[in-house]
Order: sequence, then C-alpha cells, then structure tokens
Amino acid sequence: MVQATGRFCHIHGERFLETEDLTKTYKVGTQEVYALRGVRFAADQGDFIVINGPSGSGKTTFLNLIAVIDRPTSGEVKIEGVATSQQSERQLAILRKTKIGLIFQSFNLIPVLSASENVEYPLLLLQVPKRERRERVAQLLGEVGISDLATRRPSELSGGQRQRVAIARALISAPKLVLADEPTANLDSETGGAVMDLMRKLNEEHCVTFIVVTHDPAVSSYARRRVRIHDGTLREGATDVVVDTAS
Amino acid sequence: MWWWIPLRSLWRNRRRALLSVAVIGLGTAISLFVLGFVESSRALIQQSTVQEYANLQIASPDLWNDTGQGYEYLISPDDAARITAILTTDSAYSGSTQELQFAGLLAAGNQTQVVNVTAIAPENGVLDFRDLVTDGRGLTASDAASVVIGRSLADRLSVAVGDVVTLTATTVAGAYNASPFRIVGIYRFTSEQFEGQVLFVPLAFAQALLDTQGVDRIVVALSRIGETAPAKRRIGDALAAAALPYEPRSWDELSPFYRQLSSYFDALFGFLTLAVSVLVFFIILQVLTLAFLERTREIGTLRALGTTRGEVFRLFFTESVWLALVGSAAGIGAGLLLGLVFNAVGIEWQPPGTIEPVKLAVTLGITTAIVPFCVSLVATLLSALYPSIQASRLSVVDSLRVD
Repeated sequence: MVQATGRFCHIHGERFLETEDLTKTYKVGTQEVYALRGVRFAADQGDFIVINGPSGSGKTTFLNLIAVIDRPTSGEVKIEGVATSQQSERQLAILRKTKIGLIFQSFNLIPVLSASENVEYPLLLLQVPKRERRERVAQLLGEVGISDLATRRPSELSGGQRQRVAIARALISAPKLVLADEPTANLDSETGGAVMDLMRKLNEEHCVTFIVVTHDPAVSSYARRRVRIHDGTLREGATDVVVDTAS
Repeated sequence: MWWWIPLRSLWRNRRRALLSVAVIGLGTAISLFVLGFVESSRALIQQSTVQEYANLQIASPDLWNDTGQGYEYLISPDDAARITAILTTDSAYSGSTQELQFAGLLAAGNQTQVVNVTAIAPENGVLDFRDLVTDGRGLTASDAASVVIGRSLADRLSVAVGDVVTLTATTVAGAYNASPFRIVGIYRFTSEQFEGQVLFVPLAFAQALLDTQGVDRIVVALSRIGETAPAKRRIGDALAAAALPYEPRSWDELSPFYRQLSSYFDALFGFLTLAVSVLVFFIILQVLTLAFLERTREIGTLRALGTTRGEVFRLFFTESVWLALVGSAAGIGAGLLLGLVFNAVGIEWQPPGTIEPVKLAVTLGITTAIVPFCVSLVATLLSALYPSIQASRLSVVDSLRVD
C-alpha cells in the first residue's frame, strides 16, 4: 500500500456539493429515529474526502442522500448550486448518470455483462456513439489495469478485479463526483490498498471529487479531508468533525 | 442495449426462462391444436353443407319467410330466364340450375312416408347429387318418372333399385295428384335425417305432377366458396335493380345446423383459448414476479447508475417480449408437429346422426397459427406488465439493501 502523494487536482477549489441542515429520520414502530441531524457539508471539485465513523453512525445514509438515490426528511442537497429536493425521479436519474459515479461495497456489477460491458453501461444510458464508447472503455480499463479481463463476467473476477471494474464504471461518464461506500470492505488489505491507490491516482489525474465513506482507518490516510460522523451529526469545525489536510 | 441485455438476463436464468417458454409454448400448442381441429371440422361441415345447398339459392322472400299462400312463391319461366341472365354476368358465377321442392307422400306396398321432394334438372352439373348415388344410377336427362331415394328411406320402405313407388302431392291449384315412379338409384349422405326424408325426381316430371311451369328456386354455384358473401351482395343488388322480387341466400344462411354448429365451435375455441390464456397469464405472472424479486439488488444498481424508471421497465418488459416471442413460436412449432402426427395417425369418429365415420383431422396453416400466436403473445405481455411496473417502481435505497 502506498501513502498519499500529496498531489491533488490543480483546479481544486470550485464548490460542487453542499448540504444544508440535512436530516433523515426513519420510523421504527411508533418512534422516529434520527439517522442524520441537520448536517451541513460542502465539497469542492477535486476534493478527496474520507468520511469515517462507527457502524450505524449515518455514513451510508449521508452518502445515499448526496448520491440523490434517497430523499432527505428535511434539508437540502445542492449539486453545483442546484437544489435537488424538488426534482423528479427522472431528473435525479439524469443527474446521477451525468454527474455522479457510484462505487459500492459489494461492487454491484451487472452479472450478465462482461467487465467491459459493465463499464460501458453508463455510456449506453448517455447514448454515446459506439466507437467512442469502445475507445473510452478500453482506455479506462487500461488505466485501472484490467485490460486483459475485459471479456470476463463478474463471476470470473476476483474481489479486487471487480472493484476495479466498478471504479472504471463510476468514472467512465466523466462525472464530477464519485461516491464510494466502503470500497475496501470486501477486499484484503493489500488489494484494498491498491484500490485506494487507484482512486487517489484517478482523483489526481481526472480532477474528480471523491467522497469515500469507510470505517477502515487505513483508508483515511488517503484523504485530503477527513470528516467524522457520529450519531448522525457532522459539523464543519466541530469537535466531532476532523478536517485535516493530508499533505 | 434494450434487446440484448434482457436476452442475456434470460440466458443467465436459463432454467426459469425455459420453464416460461414451456408454459407459453404448451398453451400456444393447445390453442393451435384446438383451433386446427375446429377449423377442420368446420371445413368438413361446410363442404357437406355446400354439397347440399350449393353456394347460393335465389327465391321469393315468401318462400324464405314462409309467407304467402300456396305456391305463390314460384318463379315463372320468364323471371327464371332474367335471373339466369343476371347471374351469368357475375364474375364469381360458375353455373346455375333450377329446383322445385315440395312435400309429398311416398307409398310403397302398404307403407307410406312423408317426404321432401327435390325436383332437379338431371345432369345439371351444379347440384345434381349424382356423386351421392351408391346403388343404381343418378337421374339422367332422358328420365321421366324416375326417383333417387336415400338409403335410410329405402330400408324403411323395404324397397330397392328397380322397384316402383307412388308419389302423391298437391298441385298448384290445390288438387291431389299421384304418379308411380321407378327407383333408379339409392344415395347416401352424411346426415341420416336427410337420407330418410329427401328424394330426387326430374324437374319436368315434378312440374307435370304439380301442374306448373314454375320453379321455387334457382341454385347457384360459384367459382370459390370464399366468393359467397360478396357475390350474394352483388347479385342481390342486381336483382333489386332489375325489379325482380327475389332474394339470394347463402349456403350458411340456408343451413341452421351449420350456423348452430359454427357458433358452438366458436364458443368452444373461445372458451378453451380463454382458459389456456388465463392459465398462462397467472403462471408467467408468478414466474416473472419471483424472477424480478430475486434481482431487486440489480434493479437498485441500475437505478443508482442513472437508469430511469421507464428504462428499467423497458429492460424487464423486453425480457417478457423475448419470452413471449420464443414461447409462442415454439408453441406454434409444437402444435404443428402435434397436428401432423395426429393427421398421420388418422383417427376416425362417427358423429351422432351421421351414416359414415369421418376422419378426424387438424387444419394446419399460417392462418390457423396467427390467432394462437397472438393470444399467447398478448397473455404473456399482459402478465409481464405488473412485475415490470413493480420492478421499475422499487426504491433505489431499499433495493440496494437487499442481499
């Protein structure tokens, strides 16, 4: 595993994501349980942010909300200054496919598609011409180091290889934001380190904002900013939020 | 993408896909077989009915509606000539002849039987019933007091070819008239009732017996049975335009038995097809609901990647379109094969009221296949609607949580 190099995207600084008083509650029986309580958060283009916290602290809920695959009970998620809470399901789907890449803990590859087809899928949704799709897929598979596995199905790949495919899929549509939920949880430490190295490299080379949710302390070492979430609270500058500069 | 991803999903779940195809195919094959059998039976009865009535018959509405007095409905020789002239101009016209039907009493020895007499122009080439004759011969142009009777009637009266019988009828003036007839032939027909009641005599001799020059109908043969309805319309219009007070009726209108049986066949096929479709609908609904439920996480992933609800619906519904197309096509193939085997075996059956067994057969062809194919296709696609809509409406977050 390599340590963070300290090189970051040169256009770092433009505000991409903001949340305002983000609250999410769930009904458990007759009781209302808070998963997030009035979270204010901001991320700039080119950031590499690691959010950590114990299980059940609200990390994944927060990630789901900023990925606009879930809606907050109250508060707002703004992407490039545009509020998302009033947008339709269709508008949110378009937002996801054009601006957000997702990496899941369990990889979530489409089992019937090969590695290259999984990576190609977001481009199909964007109706990118076939030749351009093939070129971009080949290039990205090369970047993540699995060119020789392009025709294999997910079931024929190791955990690390699957996560590389998932990373390539998340990046193929050139999103401005990539959200990763426990990307190393199902990998051994060596493979996990390699995956994080790759994510960091892509952050540096593509100026993509990475927000990684994890409870793995090793992952935090890759962060430019480290944010801690606890009992659904996350406040910039507060004691339970640790904002560090890794370099 | 919208076609090959669903196809691959089906390939991945081959066992389930095969089960679905088998269910759809079985339903289609059953529908095809039943429809083929119904169409074959209908064609047999159609053939027999046309053999009895020809394609069209033209007569006075008084005859058709059983109104008027005595023989008022008879067609005069002048009108018959005008009608024939009109008929010959029709594109579907093949030939025509004149008939006179009346009721009479047939006596042989000390036995008497009420009969329906059909007086025909012998050797008319349109409807002379010669090919039905099994003993003796059919009527010829030189016959005078000759009669051809049915096998059942001959047996009942204990008469044979060469015997003399007496036919009594009422003349157009209302008087009784009787004449001896020599039996020159005995015919067989598919209906025992027809055989036991109908006898054939030469038209000229019947006119002499009834003391008339008229006929009660003109029987028309057309080039094709399918021309019946349009030809009837054209001829009806032409008769009306010529101020001739006669009305054409088609073979199916003349045979209440055919109409009833045809309705019965339609109901039978409709019910069976509905039952099979409902069965296919619920089985496929169950299979697809389970199949899509197992792929909840995959649906969540697709949605999270930016696939819209409409696109998810399209992906999953397209799987059903593949299933429906392959299943229905396989069913048509299986049904055709089953039909070929059935036809080759050549099972015979004697329907009630008939005199000879008929060979059961299944009509096989494109037109017979279209309805079962379409019905299975529609039933499958309808059954796929609900699970596909459900799949597209799943919550992304909840779907991703499913293991």
